[in-house]
Amino acid sequence: MVKRFGDYTAVNGVSFDVKEGEILGFLGPNGAGKTTTIYCILGLIEKDGGSVKVFGKDFAKYRSEILEQVNYSSAEFTLIWNLSVWENLTVFAKLYGVSNYKTRVKELLDIFEIADLKNKLIRNLSFGQRTRASLCKAFINKPKLLLLDEPMASLDPDVVDKGIALIKRIQKEEKMSVLYTSHNMWEIEELATDVVFMNHGKIVAQGSPLELTKRVLKLETKEPSLREVFIEIARTKNAA
Amino acid sequence: MRLNRVYAVILRQYFLSIHQMDRLFGVFFFPTMSLVLWGFISKYVQQIQSNYLAALLLGGIMLWIVFESIDTDIGLSFMWDVWEGNIVNSFASPLTLLEYMFGTLLVGLVKIIMTVVIIGFTAAIFYNFNITVLGFGLALFWINLVLFGWAFGIFKLSLILRFGSRLGPLTWSLPFLLMPFAAVYYPVSVLPGIFQKIAWFIPISHVFEGMRYTLATGKFDFAKFYTAMGLNIIFLFLSVMLLVWVFGAVRKNGQLVKLR
Repeated sequence: MVKRFGDYTAVNGVSFDVKEGEILGFLGPNGAGKTTTIYCILGLIEKDGGSVKVFGKDFAKYRSEILEQVNYSSAEFTLIWNLSVWENLTVFAKLYGVSNYKTRVKELLDIFEIADLKNKLIRNLSFGQRTRASLCKAFINKPKLLLLDEPMASLDPDVVDKGIALIKRIQKEEKMSVLYTSHNMWEIEELATDVVFMNHGKIVAQGSPLELTKRVLKLETKEPSLREVFIEIARTKNAA
Repeated sequence: MRLNRVYAVILRQYFLSIHQMDRLFGVFFFPTMSLVLWGFISKYVQQIQSNYLAALLLGGIMLWIVFESIDTDIGLSFMWDVWEGNIVNSFASPLTLLEYMFGTLLVGLVKIIMTVVIIGFTAAIFYNFNITVLGFGLALFWINLVLFGWAFGIFKLSLILRFGSRLGPLTWSLPFLLMPFAAVYYPVSVLPGIFQKIAWFIPISHVFEGMRYTLATGKFDFAKFYTAMGLNIIFLFLSVMLLVWVFGAVRKNGQLVKLR
């Protein structure tokens, strides 16, 4: 995939697969092109070259059909500010064509422990509560592919820890594929089976957290250390 | 097009209206205030023995409100989505631009029916003016006002989408740029030559001319109706094409995800 904005190439020949049922960590420094890549996958930004295939189908041809089975969440975009949690989830359930949506909404509110907040407006929630509401929206249609773009940004470690545990649990139960970006390497080590590193619009390294630690840092170790790998990659031009 | 997604757009507007009563200001407050103001002017005109002129003024403002409300509602509803940061989440879902617009236009239609009922009763009770004096033509006038309201609203939405929310004030101000040419309170014939030519291309100027003809003669001017309808079809087609093109352009240059 290629995406240019004028003379600037934001995504430069990026190619990767998210396997069925895996959580793929999608890493890179600020401005590496991760979010642009996600927007291109969702069709929010039109790519200049290459193709996006989801569930083996061409996204450009089957957009709505594909997006019924995909979902997205980012800390950058909260739910509709002036609607309650329940109203938001109802609207999004309708948008995604969720049948028996009341049961699904109730189930998610219970899982994310925000059932008592269901009648509160999003604008009146704390940052952590808003994140949990956004994650309910992300799981509303039992997506087969979930794109999470720094969903836990700016949250305290306790909330992140609970969020990660919930994402892991639901992902396992509902066997979904997840593309997960974060600048918190601990989150990725907890969640991801494989990792793709981007820098300057290109994929510069790919593999399991442990493999990358060994390869990029040239270390013999049994523990992954993505934080050091991240710093090494961000500070050098060409990685492994 | 999936109806469940159109329903979701309508449902969202319904929920938002419950929480933010200011969203309903456009339905009753501003139209009623305009009517009160023009109602008193018309009452004064009646006192100086001109019932016909009073009817022209009241009929003019009541039809203008229909156009202005339906047009403003499209831009305003989009601006709320931009301010709420809801554009990305909406278009990351299976919702299509067509479904989004269809739902928005339907909500605008429901609101305008409520507005018409409110101002109709207000005019009848306080100013003794019955809008149904325009006869069956009233429905035909409304059709043209609604169609041009949609065309103009979609045109403004395209500008906001392309150039960002800094153009948001166009939502309220641009209809007033049309007002002198639309000949709401006076006939097109009083305009200077070049303005008359411009007025001919504005569908609602034919609606207001038609209204004056009906009030004067009790008959309906079909020629004006068809002219307005023809122009509306052209403008609606052009505005939808512009919106589709702009939507493609903002997806291309990344502007869609940056709308705040």
